[in-house]
Amino acid sequence: MKDKYIKTAVFGIFALFLIGCSEDFLDVESKENIAAEDRDENFVPEDFVNGIYGMFTEWPYAFSYLGITEIISDNGDKGANPGGTGADKHFLDDLNFTSTVPSVEAMYTHWYKTIGRANYAIAYSELESTDAEMQKRIIGEARFLRAYTYFFLVRSFGAVHIQGEITFENGEPVIDPEADLSVRNSKEEVYNYIKQDLLYAMDALPAKSEYSTANLGRATNGAATALLSKVHLYQENWADALKYADDVISSGEYSLEPNYEDIWREYSENGSESIFEIQARGEPIAHGVQQYSTTQGARGTSGWGWGFNNPSQSLVDAFDAQGDEIRKNATIIFAGEILWDGREVSSSVENPRYNEKAYSSANAGAGDGDKNIRVIRLAEVYLIKAEAANELGQTDVAETALNKVRNRVDLNNVTGLGQAELRKQIWEERRLELAFEHDRWFDLIRTGQAEAAMAADGKDFKEKHNLFPIPEDQLIQTPDMPQNPGW
Amino acid sequence: MKLKLSLILLVFFSGFGFAQETKTVTGTVIDQNDVPLSGAQVKVIDKEIFSVADFDGNFSLENVEVGDVFQVTFLGFKAQNVEVTQQDSYQINMVEDAGQLDEVVVVGYGTQSKQDVTGSISSVKSEEIIKQPSSTATQALQGKVSGVNIVNSAAPGATPTVTIRGLGTALGGRNPLYVVDGVPVSDIQNISPGNIESIDFLKDASSAAIYGVRAANGVIIVTTKKGKSGKAKFGIRSYYGAKPTLNPVKMANAEQYVTYFNEENDAIGGDRLSQDQRYDTDWYDEVTHIGSVNNTSFDVSGGSENIDYFFSYDYYEEEGLLIGQKFRRSTITNNNTYKLFDNRLKITQNLNLAFRDETPKPFGIFNTAFRQSPLVPVFYENGRYGGAYYNRTTGEATYIAGSDESIGNLTSHGNPVAALNFSNEKNKSFNIQGSVTAELEITEDFIFTSRFGARKIFVRSRSFNPNKARYLANDPTRTEEQFEGLKKDNPENTQYANNSLRFNSRESFKYNWDNFINYKKSFEDHSLDVTLGGSKEQIGIGMTDSYTAYDVPEASQYWSIKHATDQYDKQVNQFSYTPTNFLSYFGRLQYNYARKYYLTGTIRRDGSSTFQNNSDYWGTFPAVGVGWTLSRENFLEGNEVVNFLKLRGSWGKLGNANVPLNTTQILTDPDSGSQNYVLGPDQDLVFGAYIGSLARNLSWEVVEELSVGLDYELIDNRLSGSLDYYRRNTENTILEVQPLLNSTFANRFFDHGAEVINEGVEFAVNWSDQIGDKFSYNVGANFSYNHNEVSNVQRNYDGQLGGSTGLGGVSTKRLEEGQPLGSWWMYDVEGVWQSQEQIDNNASLGGARPGHLRYIDQNDDGAIDERDKVFLGTYIPSYNYGINISLSYDNFDFSVDGYGVGGNKVFNGLKNARIGGENITADTFNNRWTGEGSTNSNPGADRDIQASSYYLENGDFFRINNITLGYTLPSFSNFIDNVRVYVSAQNPILITEYSGFTPEISGYNPDNSNAQGPYGRSGLELDAYPLSSTFLVGVNIKL
Repeated sequence: MKDKYIKTAVFGIFALFLIGCSEDFLDVESKENIAAEDRDENFVPEDFVNGIYGMFTEWPYAFSYLGITEIISDNGDKGANPGGTGADKHFLDDLNFTSTVPSVEAMYTHWYKTIGRANYAIAYSELESTDAEMQKRIIGEARFLRAYTYFFLVRSFGAVHIQGEITFENGEPVIDPEADLSVRNSKEEVYNYIKQDLLYAMDALPAKSEYSTANLGRATNGAATALLSKVHLYQENWADALKYADDVISSGEYSLEPNYEDIWREYSENGSESIFEIQARGEPIAHGVQQYSTTQGARGTSGWGWGFNNPSQSLVDAFDAQGDEIRKNATIIFAGEILWDGREVSSSVENPRYNEKAYSSANAGAGDGDKNIRVIRLAEVYLIKAEAANELGQTDVAETALNKVRNRVDLNNVTGLGQAELRKQIWEERRLELAFEHDRWFDLIRTGQAEAAMAADGKDFKEKHNLFPIPEDQLIQTPDMPQNPGW
Repeated sequence: MKLKLSLILLVFFSGFGFAQETKTVTGTVIDQNDVPLSGAQVKVIDKEIFSVADFDGNFSLENVEVGDVFQVTFLGFKAQNVEVTQQDSYQINMVEDAGQLDEVVVVGYGTQSKQDVTGSISSVKSEEIIKQPSSTATQALQGKVSGVNIVNSAAPGATPTVTIRGLGTALGGRNPLYVVDGVPVSDIQNISPGNIESIDFLKDASSAAIYGVRAANGVIIVTTKKGKSGKAKFGIRSYYGAKPTLNPVKMANAEQYVTYFNEENDAIGGDRLSQDQRYDTDWYDEVTHIGSVNNTSFDVSGGSENIDYFFSYDYYEEEGLLIGQKFRRSTITNNNTYKLFDNRLKITQNLNLAFRDETPKPFGIFNTAFRQSPLVPVFYENGRYGGAYYNRTTGEATYIAGSDESIGNLTSHGNPVAALNFSNEKNKSFNIQGSVTAELEITEDFIFTSRFGARKIFVRSRSFNPNKARYLANDPTRTEEQFEGLKKDNPENTQYANNSLRFNSRESFKYNWDNFINYKKSFEDHSLDVTLGGSKEQIGIGMTDSYTAYDVPEASQYWSIKHATDQYDKQVNQFSYTPTNFLSYFGRLQYNYARKYYLTGTIRRDGSSTFQNNSDYWGTFPAVGVGWTLSRENFLEGNEVVNFLKLRGSWGKLGNANVPLNTTQILTDPDSGSQNYVLGPDQDLVFGAYIGSLARNLSWEVVEELSVGLDYELIDNRLSGSLDYYRRNTENTILEVQPLLNSTFANRFFDHGAEVINEGVEFAVNWSDQIGDKFSYNVGANFSYNHNEVSNVQRNYDGQLGGSTGLGGVSTKRLEEGQPLGSWWMYDVEGVWQSQEQIDNNASLGGARPGHLRYIDQNDDGAIDERDKVFLGTYIPSYNYGINISLSYDNFDFSVDGYGVGGNKVFNGLKNARIGGENITADTFNNRWTGEGSTNSNPGADRDIQASSYYLENGDFFRINNITLGYTLPSFSNFIDNVRVYVSAQNPILITEYSGFTPEISGYNPDNSNAQGPYGRSGLELDAYPLSSTFLVGVNIKL
């Protein structure tokens, strides 16, 4: 009898602690962060495209970018004070950097992460879009931004890996499993990829005037066309470069600002000459290219910034050689100068010159300022046209386009130089017109002027400098990836 | 509940109705001092007859026959067997069980005689714990337990880092599991050390496997004090101590600083300072003082036939080295045991309330106090805070400039005293923790236990930030009018609010409900002990909320959100935590034959909601242990030298489920995040989103461990100890992977990616003896060696950087296969550049100048860059040891404890990371390079910011933890049982070669919970809390 009771008791007790031990207990819902599977309730494809644009307002574009586009070139000096190296800006300035410098790694990484956001945005729009028109535009924007970013990569590193695209399987994003991150696609493949994206974008994107005002600032048909023209310029496809440049010029969407210095004023943001620019606001919640105006602001007494990326004496000389006062003064803040908005720059600031194109009147030293950064503007398209036409032997067309840009800054017409001299003149024009618009270094490499220009600047340009080294951290993680020659 | 009651009754009645030709005997159980032992168990062997001694030690047994044998047992005493004779009344004189290995150790869901353990368990009793004053008990156990490495921080209220048998994981979840009276918790900060009866460290897989998925870092079982049957006992303990800095570092004075500054600036073409300076501030003196500690507790305990009780009130107060830093804690503990139905049902209730009240101060002040120039005054003559200004023309440290003169900055650091004064924070928390355990004896072999345990924490903190005062303090030329002007011009910018006030509160709850059954049976020489059960647990239930408002009145009584201005938007944030649920089943079988051959098998099956997205979110963790007591074999039995000798071996698997929830999250930001952009002619902010990283399917980390050990007692039990070897392999260590630079997503993600192997030996030895009546002594030592290595790193997953020096993106640590966790990675120094010519003709780092450190070109490529960095050991000591000596003579007692570590490296980040103008130590000044040929080992005033072997120093140290002399007063009153007074010096002596404040750098920083860990600031001195000594006097009174 007793045994039976015990058995019952034991059984009963076990039953007791198995009750409630249901496996449902382990299904805990995420409360702290919104789980990805609930995303469609909260996110539209446009959110992810905005997220790509946001990448262009990040810190690397305010510092590392200066290093590898301007400070490294004959236009820019490191600036700041002797001890202020900005981690590696002195190495870039002196052209004795290695594959481990953070500025190169920061941009390389930032570009790939921008592409990653674009890939996700494209896949997400394909999955979630309800409106075909909208879907096309959104994918067009994403592909424009992706192409623009690959263009940086191919110019900087030559052959680069083309990142695996994303597809959705059962609602989960899957990155192309075939994509081996140690593989570098050929330069040609990368350029073709860029062109595919831009052709799609040209077709998909509205013209600047066709956007609703709330969307002012998004990538346009004109932006894609202008960029495609520039891409062809780099590939020396002169006819295509000329054709797409003409398409932009004849679109009726753009015209040159009458006064050169106005281009960098707040009132001309997204103005008639602007084809694509990075947007920024200074009022709270401020959101600009983080500290872009600070890093390049005047340093020391009466200053508002760190004083990096100073216009070089070489650049001043180049302006003076052309008698180009207008562009010189619009480009350079001189110590002791009173700026157009009345700000006095003391003569005892730490450096003799600063980049005026980065100056924000309203938010001089603020973390996020109102400075829109002009990426492509009509003047450059004229210069592309001029260069392409010159290469094609269409001297008149070339001279007309070139003089259009020169005339605005009261420089005399260039005529009858002959192809070779005209080419040099156009290149020089690009230097002065586009100074501190992050084009100089790539232009020096493209045109083969780099070695001579660096030598003139007292720096030792070697063959390897035609490309930046693949960052060491990439190679540590993907040892199979080859380094660029000479690094 | 109804079910339970009927079960109780059912069981209850089943014990009756076996009457034969029998009689009733009675007896009294007393100890050597004739004190009745209430609660002693009396049981007739092989019969269902038992009794429990009552309050006066009396018991009676019914229905016994002559020739029956009854056994009397009582915890801490040797069991006695008594044969029933014609006599009807018996007096049982119990003898205390002195043999150390006869102690009982607490294993999960039960207890066990220490002699029967097959795993590796170290126990520490209450006396050891209270010997060293501490706020958290583990602090006091440094150097006391072999195989356990404890790293302390001297910060008030700090949690020590406890590592059992080596670090097996790179990420969060490095802490052992604490089980306090059956409640699994993450820490024991809320438990007063004085209330702890014992702490048991379950070190190997065999003993820890019963806690399965949470046991990978070891399990620490804490048992709080309970009442013991007998009359009420009162205890009062109190001590007070002063805490000076143990190892202060002498900084350069004004004159030395000026020389150094000028040498630096001469090299880079900067300004020079004049030797004629007005101020010479010792910043450490200004921000620190002698701290203090005070602990007073009162307890009362006792027991009767039906209830044992323990009640304690404990007050702990500590003032830190930083002026104004305070930590206070009141703890109320109440543990009661209700014994019902003749002890067949025992209900134990534990309750612990802890109230903490803290005034923290930012640890970053230690960093600024080191770096700020001595030329800067605390205050200028006009009462304004000193700043790092100098007149570039006159070279004097002042903010005043004449016309044509300009002002420069000496350093980029603020005024440490201002930082200390402006920090205005208060944290209060209330912690309720407790459990109710019902143990039902179904039959004498079967005990069913049901336990509900819970912990609730409320935390509220307030911080007040005087923006305006900070603005004014940053520059003595600034005026209130300027601030008002800025405020007017930027009406929405909260930066220009006079002040901000923030409240933060958090509440969290956890509970566990365990049910298990224990079956114990002995037949002939076989003993069997089986435990089976299940557990349901939910942790991390709760929410947090915060409120920020601006411009409250200056007087602190008005610091509430209500009184803030409406000019600025008030900010509210609230969210609920995602809880983690566990569901577990466990079983353990212990068998021994004649207490000679032991076998233990343990299995636990766990499910965790953290891994719900996985197919295998259930894990099974098995373990086996075997033991052989050689001393019970014929060939050793009765041996005069070997009193006890046992071999142990175990194998098992353990899990670590404490990894972050792995869901793919879409990141948005209401502010200026990188996913947002600006569009439209009015430049409106538009919001965007992005994916940080795709979640990988994570599971628990699994540790497989093999361990063998030996326990011994020799020479009349005077020499005792243990020896252990183990090899632990974390098979699938979770790494925080930095995505490849060219991959899609930017954010780090978690994935299984490596193995971590810990292999070690540990031994403990103890000699205790008594000479004559009055003198006895005890000498103990323990040593633990551990080798840590990362292996089998998944492709693309190594290279994780860590240990940032905070300047110029310099890292000091890197994860790599074949290296230990948290290994140092930096340049190796081969001297100092003596001349420009030398630099030009050798591989050098870009920008090198004479006086800079010269790095070895490891790959001989003629340039110095990251590829020339090398692995230089780890911050984790490869061995640690403790020495404990205690003597007692007559009424005097004396003890000395020492602790040491070795084989580790620490990085002096304060010495290293300079961007120019920072102060240096007097030693750095005196030893510096001053020109060609001056020294080839120390850099000059101008140097780079790179991390290198120069700053990586030997972390070995030996420290006397404790010297205590006590005197027990001779009995002078019947009312008072015992009075002991003592004086003690804690951490009075530190022997180290390290040039910084303390080589013991846990990385603990209350402002930055991510600072700790192998890839954080562990072993890296940047803002580590200096070590302090404590000199104290105390008294213990028993009534």
